[in-house]
Amino acid sequence: MVPLVVYSAQGYDSAVTKAFQSATGIPVQLVDDSTGPLLVKVQAEINNPRWDVLWVDGDEAFASLDQQGYLLKGFEPSVAFNSVGTSLIPADQSYIPTGVTMAGTVVYNSKKVTTPPTSWNDLLSAQWKGQLGMNNPAVSGPTYPFVAGLFDYLGGVSQGEAFLTQLKSNGLHVNPTNPDTLHALEAGQFSVALIQSSAGIGAGIKDPALKVAFLNPVTPIPGVIGIDAKSSPQKQWEAQQFAAWVLSPDGQKAMLAGDPGGDSMYWPVVQGIQPLPQMPDLSTVPSKAIDPVLWGGRESEINKWFTDNIAQ
Amino acid sequence: MSSPGPNREATALADEAIRPVGQFRRAAPGLLSLERVEAAVSAVRRSAGSIALWAVLAALLVVPIGAFLVQAVSPRLVGLGGPWFTLDNLAHALSGPTLRGLVDSLAVSSVTAVLCVAIGGSLAWGVHRTDLPGRRVWPVLVWALLLVPTFLTAEGWQYLLQPQGVLAQFGIDASGIYAVFFGPVGVVFVLTMSALPFAYVVVAASLLYLGPEFEEAARVHGAGPWQAIRIVIPILGPGLLSAGAIVFAETMSDFGVASTLAASAHFPVATYELFQAINNNPADFGLAAAVGWLLVASAAIPIAVQARALRGRTYAVASGRTRQATRIRLSPATRLVAFGATATLFSLALGAPLIGAFVASLLSGFGSEISVGAVTLDNYRAVLLGDTGLAQPLVFSTIMATLAAVVTIALGLPVARLLTNRSAGRVAKATDLVLLGSVALPGIVLAAGYIFAYNLPVFGAVGLNLYETAPLLVMGYVATALPGQTRLMVGPFSQLQDSLAHAARVHGSSALATWRRVMIPMLSRVLLWAAMLTFAKTLLELPVSQLLYPPGSPPVSVAINAYVAGYHYDVGTAMTVVALAEEFIVIVGALVLFALLAPRGWRRAIGPGT
Repeated sequence: MVPLVVYSAQGYDSAVTKAFQSATGIPVQLVDDSTGPLLVKVQAEINNPRWDVLWVDGDEAFASLDQQGYLLKGFEPSVAFNSVGTSLIPADQSYIPTGVTMAGTVVYNSKKVTTPPTSWNDLLSAQWKGQLGMNNPAVSGPTYPFVAGLFDYLGGVSQGEAFLTQLKSNGLHVNPTNPDTLHALEAGQFSVALIQSSAGIGAGIKDPALKVAFLNPVTPIPGVIGIDAKSSPQKQWEAQQFAAWVLSPDGQKAMLAGDPGGDSMYWPVVQGIQPLPQMPDLSTVPSKAIDPVLWGGRESEINKWFTDNIAQ
Repeated sequence: MSSPGPNREATALADEAIRPVGQFRRAAPGLLSLERVEAAVSAVRRSAGSIALWAVLAALLVVPIGAFLVQAVSPRLVGLGGPWFTLDNLAHALSGPTLRGLVDSLAVSSVTAVLCVAIGGSLAWGVHRTDLPGRRVWPVLVWALLLVPTFLTAEGWQYLLQPQGVLAQFGIDASGIYAVFFGPVGVVFVLTMSALPFAYVVVAASLLYLGPEFEEAARVHGAGPWQAIRIVIPILGPGLLSAGAIVFAETMSDFGVASTLAASAHFPVATYELFQAINNNPADFGLAAAVGWLLVASAAIPIAVQARALRGRTYAVASGRTRQATRIRLSPATRLVAFGATATLFSLALGAPLIGAFVASLLSGFGSEISVGAVTLDNYRAVLLGDTGLAQPLVFSTIMATLAAVVTIALGLPVARLLTNRSAGRVAKATDLVLLGSVALPGIVLAAGYIFAYNLPVFGAVGLNLYETAPLLVMGYVATALPGQTRLMVGPFSQLQDSLAHAARVHGSSALATWRRVMIPMLSRVLLWAAMLTFAKTLLELPVSQLLYPPGSPPVSVAINAYVAGYHYDVGTAMTVVALAEEFIVIVGALVLFALLAPRGWRRAIGPGT
């Protein structure tokens, strides 16, 4: 068996790869890191890829990698995806959703805020002036889906830019990443943060004063597995075994147990698997997936616009 | 003049050495033909050494950095597609926010360099030339400062000052200070505190072997103490300029403050713009490389200033005859003021941010509902005894950091020698530019360059699969440390007059024995500290670790980062504190062992802390 090289940013990846190795006998070499450095590695390895499996959050990045020819097409494990899972599978089957969290989740300090915002337009009201914080999508991986989903909901790029500009006039705070924004929320710099659901729900376990709410609609961020198009056939077969095992009941068990309070706070995308008890029922979350190819193609431009106009 | 080569050379160089300080060096005229042959042979021998050294520097720095920077003008050359030649990236880098970032960086670095030389120089003077109280403690604290990563200083201050931060919990309103701190002022402040040791170490080394004769000569001719200082400052010129250059380049390349305080305060600096270009999806390596070129070019500014100011003068002052300088006795009032100022400096530089970070790590939930009653040691128990899996990364990083420290000083010694070898001329200048240019680049450029260069299929074809192996990781660490460490060594090195080594040679000592018995003992303290510093910086190094680590063996910085990114801030911060504690124990242990075990002569070696 040739060791399978897995590049992953998932908090449960160590537990899952160990369980996979003992279940199947396929050896795994794990590179666990943040999404940003892993994508840099994948792109810098263009002449001689070392990775076989890339497992990070956000399908826009995968759509973009797919268009550049990085990903093996035409494979999905034969499992029963639920409706959210099905909505996330790309037409060319170039990557596999493994779970889902929500972008732009409202996380608020319930000691200061009794009624959280109820709609996206509500955020522009005087009530929330100077009280909102978010991440910079150019720095924080899981924040671009939030911005793209918001733009999609509002009707396009120009409408989205106008909305964010108004939000900025209403005193929006922009921090680099989830931890920074969460920390600023806890430190009282503002009372409502718009961050990834797993960050908010995880923080709520440690600090019960922090609660989450979902505006209509929120954008799902799938955890996604992609397989290197240039790997050897043997390694591609091993990678397919890995993806299939991750979505099996045993794999899901490992994912749900691997990072309590962190990335294990996700909603499963296969039928018959229950999320952790602290998770709100997925049917109560008004989510709407966006076209990752369309919005992935605009990522660089929108992030640059955001950095120049909103984050400054 | 028919004496054998070394003696003749020694005599000539001894003549050179006794010329007045500041006089131009000229080539000796009228060599005989036999001597010309000898000179040619020794030139070849010398250049064989520098060719070997340059091959190492090329592998460590020039090739990988080149592989990255070339993408600014020719992305196709490294297989990224796009045109063979373009100036678009440079044009893009010199406009909009990247240009603003560059201008901000240049301004911040210039101010920081001036502040560091002034403060670090004054501190060095106080410690080495006056009876300043606590002068045995301050140098140790300077080294402690070097150990604290800039992001920790920045975050520590933020924890202290921010609304509902640590100070606010004790009823102290710091909002006014926070408003000023949260921007360019805070960025300059944190960078000054963290780069201060570079200025201190370089100036202190210059002072140590500056005998009292210059001050005494001035005093004999009727100068007061302050006039004497004014006479000595120009003699210290190379040290001060060298200190300014290294601070400038270090500050240009800083990412710790850029990614925390500066980013949160929306004060864009060049390294952050570079990082954003790489972090974009898809990554814009071309733009990042163009910003890289501008950073390297900016490092040439202090080199040019230095070259213009020195103009080939020699400033070597340490010889076999250098006497211990007598300390200036300060008046009681001056002593009190100087002590107060120094104590305040270190409280601000070291105490406040460490207290901020340490208190935060003890609070359950890290920052949430901060109250002193919630102090918990659970985070430390989890790190040291729990199954968080952080013990193995710490062991791995300790091994890597030890190797990096050993290799860095082994290479730094000949490189520093080359830089101070006045006959090396252009080679020394080129080496200096490569090293300072490398210092000015953030770690991510070096790390990505290592992938572009050492993951090329051509290396695999000859069985050299270096990428994602421990040896390449060590190379990356050495490449990160070597430029800065060499600059630290150059100060003390340039103070060693060649006459010292030549005197040893005249007395029959071989070249190797001269190194062993004269040079290394004289420099032992500098080497020890360079090794300790490399160890400390490597232990928590992030960008090279992230991009190059061998699968399955994460370094401690990567492991900590994973915890923080996965919202387990409390465990991550506790782990940082444990790693810092390890650094501190290793360094104090090494200094104690040196004091106990080193031969007597070594203990008088050049180096701060003496």
